[in-house]
Amino acid sequence: MENGNMKMETPTNVTIKGILGMLMANLDDDDEKKRRVISLGMGDPTAFSCFTTTCVAENAVVDALNSQKFNGYSPTVGLPQTRRAISEYLSIDLPYKLSPDDVYITAGCTQAIEVAISILATPNANILVPRPGFPIYDLCAAFRNVEIRHFDLLPDNGWEVDLDAVDALADENTVAIVVINPGNPCGNVYSYQHLKKIAETAKKHKIVVIADEVYGHLAFGPNPFVPMGVFGSMVPVLTLGSLSKRWIVPGWRLGWFVTTDPNGIFKNAKTVERLKKYFDICGGPATFIQAAVPQILKETSDAFFARTLGILKHTSDLCVKKIEDIPCLTCPTKPQGSMAVMVKLNVSLLKDINDDIDFCFKLAREESVILLPGLTVGLKNWVRITFAAEPSSLEEALERVKNFCHRHSYEPKGSFSLIQD
Amino acid sequence: MGMKEWKFRGNRDLKTASAFSIKRVLDDVKRNLDQSDGRPIIPLSHGDPSSFSCFRTTQVAEDAVVDALRSAKFNGYAPKGGSLQARRSIAEYLSRNLPYKLSSEDVYVTLGAKQAIEVVLSVLSRPGANVLFPRPGYPAYEAHAVLNHLEVRHFDLLQEKGWEVDLNGLESLVDDKTVAMVIINPGNPCGNVFTCDHLQKIAETARRMGILVIADEAYAHLTFGTNPYVPMGIFGNIAPVLTLGTLSKRWLVPGWRLGWIARNDPDGIFEEHGVVECIKRSLNTNTEAATFIQAAVPQILENTTDDFFVKTINTLREDADMCYEWLKDIPCFTCLEKPQGSLFLMVKLDFSQLQGINDDMEFCSKLAKEESVLLLPGFVLGLKNWVRVTFAIEPSALEDGLARIKSFCMRHANKQSNRDICLLI
Repeated sequence: MENGNMKMETPTNVTIKGILGMLMANLDDDDEKKRRVISLGMGDPTAFSCFTTTCVAENAVVDALNSQKFNGYSPTVGLPQTRRAISEYLSIDLPYKLSPDDVYITAGCTQAIEVAISILATPNANILVPRPGFPIYDLCAAFRNVEIRHFDLLPDNGWEVDLDAVDALADENTVAIVVINPGNPCGNVYSYQHLKKIAETAKKHKIVVIADEVYGHLAFGPNPFVPMGVFGSMVPVLTLGSLSKRWIVPGWRLGWFVTTDPNGIFKNAKTVERLKKYFDICGGPATFIQAAVPQILKETSDAFFARTLGILKHTSDLCVKKIEDIPCLTCPTKPQGSMAVMVKLNVSLLKDINDDIDFCFKLAREESVILLPGLTVGLKNWVRITFAAEPSSLEEALERVKNFCHRHSYEPKGSFSLIQD
Repeated sequence: MGMKEWKFRGNRDLKTASAFSIKRVLDDVKRNLDQSDGRPIIPLSHGDPSSFSCFRTTQVAEDAVVDALRSAKFNGYAPKGGSLQARRSIAEYLSRNLPYKLSSEDVYVTLGAKQAIEVVLSVLSRPGANVLFPRPGYPAYEAHAVLNHLEVRHFDLLQEKGWEVDLNGLESLVDDKTVAMVIINPGNPCGNVFTCDHLQKIAETARRMGILVIADEAYAHLTFGTNPYVPMGIFGNIAPVLTLGTLSKRWLVPGWRLGWIARNDPDGIFEEHGVVECIKRSLNTNTEAATFIQAAVPQILENTTDDFFVKTINTLREDADMCYEWLKDIPCFTCLEKPQGSLFLMVKLDFSQLQGINDDMEFCSKLAKEESVLLLPGFVLGLKNWVRVTFAIEPSALEDGLARIKSFCMRHANKQSNRDICLLI
């Protein structure tokens, strides 16, 4: 009898959903106070009613479905009107115009990542990926036999890329560097200058930049969102994006893979052929959802975007403020964008907690709060907190975290401590 | 700054894999279309009848999706493997035709049947492994086998036996590195429907060889001939089966991208051999079907009424009968089996009856050019000098297409044969 493919053993069997599933399984069903579970673990705010998509988007999809015109297969690279609409949407923020042919429609940004890694997978190739980062890169690379090398993001420097590390890691087999901006899991939004330096470094090493911009435009701090494609004439950039975050519809699975490469360095005829071939083989997203995209991109009001940013700014401020009151947690860099922040855990202040995994498991059990252990995203003894939540839920969750930490802290010497339960 | 200086290169596997692409071959055929021909193009080459109004999905399905979307409860991520309700309802739906009950744990929701193929083949990938595919077959299997570094071996389907599997031929292909075989039933491209006996023999052969069966049942229930649809899963206790299915064909919504993998393995052999774990891991890296479409599945599977299914079958039967009747009287077509299911039939070209046409690609290219009718050359499916005919279009359009094919064949007939026909009249 045959065995399944067991080549992906460590460490690439770690997924965010997997770890969160384990944490959920560890909840105390008999919580005396019968408190509700509050999960700040996943980049999916749809569980909270303050985060809803715009009815423009919903109506556009219903219209497309009811038209009866989109029940069949779309062209494998995507509907032409969808490609055109996205090329126009992205070109607004670029110094050059994208062509619809630069845009390939994918089933969510996850598939765009798959495309990027698959198209670059050659024997002995390696890709540079940030740490902390997004585990899907590691998983996809393992499946495609591409080596992953991690460079650090610097927590004391706004989570900027450690460019010296990049220089040290890149060799003749390196083909690409991944940049996630706005940042997941760190919540950073890189400055124009820093993005330029990254582009220059990539150019120096003759590698492409995979710009994961799934959180594109979700910037509420001092740095505006600058798409990496702005440097597309310096170095070829593969831009990945989706409707998921900005429109709060991760379940719709509508993303894009775009060659922001005005000099055509990457997108030569041969590579374009290979991209088309990839899409011929693998299926894309639902046709009627694709068909709704032009209307969605054109008619979503600024008010909707502003509202989302307003809530995110408010909840990120709230989050940072509450963290300041918790001695064992520190937030070195205030988040400027995306939906999550990385927070450092000082295990030495806690008497019976070994590491971030232990912390999160016990927290789930004792307080019915879910946070993501940093190990999942590459940083042990850190924790990722998704602040994209209902403000009152966020507040309550962090209050419970505070109580938890207090309960597990060493008592200060010579003082009488009131331990809250 | 030329390409040579940059260090990235394209993935060479993709080049090989894409040789197996119906779309590419059809693009080449379509290049011959004469733009100045005022007649409508008759596409007898596709696998997607949804653009024809006689093949419209049921309102139940559309309403179910709109309801799910409007509820605003399904805009978030679904769990990997699919939402519980979708998995449960698919398990119940499939169990109706099985002698045992599937649980939601046995079902994985995929982004169309295409992703189901992708996942299943990625799970089987190990150094040196080989898989057995039918010839003629469906090239997506070959493409994904290449991407997963699986060696492909082909067994024949025997036209003279109603396109049954050549079981002796199959056995001779098996060695200790063979991991699985694929059957497509109801059959694409042949339009055959296997009998219960034949499916049992396949299962017994698989068991003897120690391989699993991948049963591609995308066209399940789309039968209109004498053989009813029998799911391979009923023999899951003989050899473990992975059944691939989808809403696409029975509900005429290939663009919705909702498929599934079902484990028919009452003896738990998959679990024992690590296959279940691998399916889960493969799904971890993959993207998935839209959450609100998954949420609509229970309503779609439970509430679609029989009259919708009957209507589709009746139209297919009308088309299939018409197609068969016309083609059997055209001399350059031979080895024609009456289709019993799916949307297609395969027919062989007899070049002795044709002049100036030497292979299937040439036949289809000239037909496209002169008559604006599209057929699929069989070489891309593994049978050179055959053609696949999709009869699932509007009956009146089909009639038009068949008349044009006849006219084309007569025009290109070998003059000797023409003379013979004249003498007979």
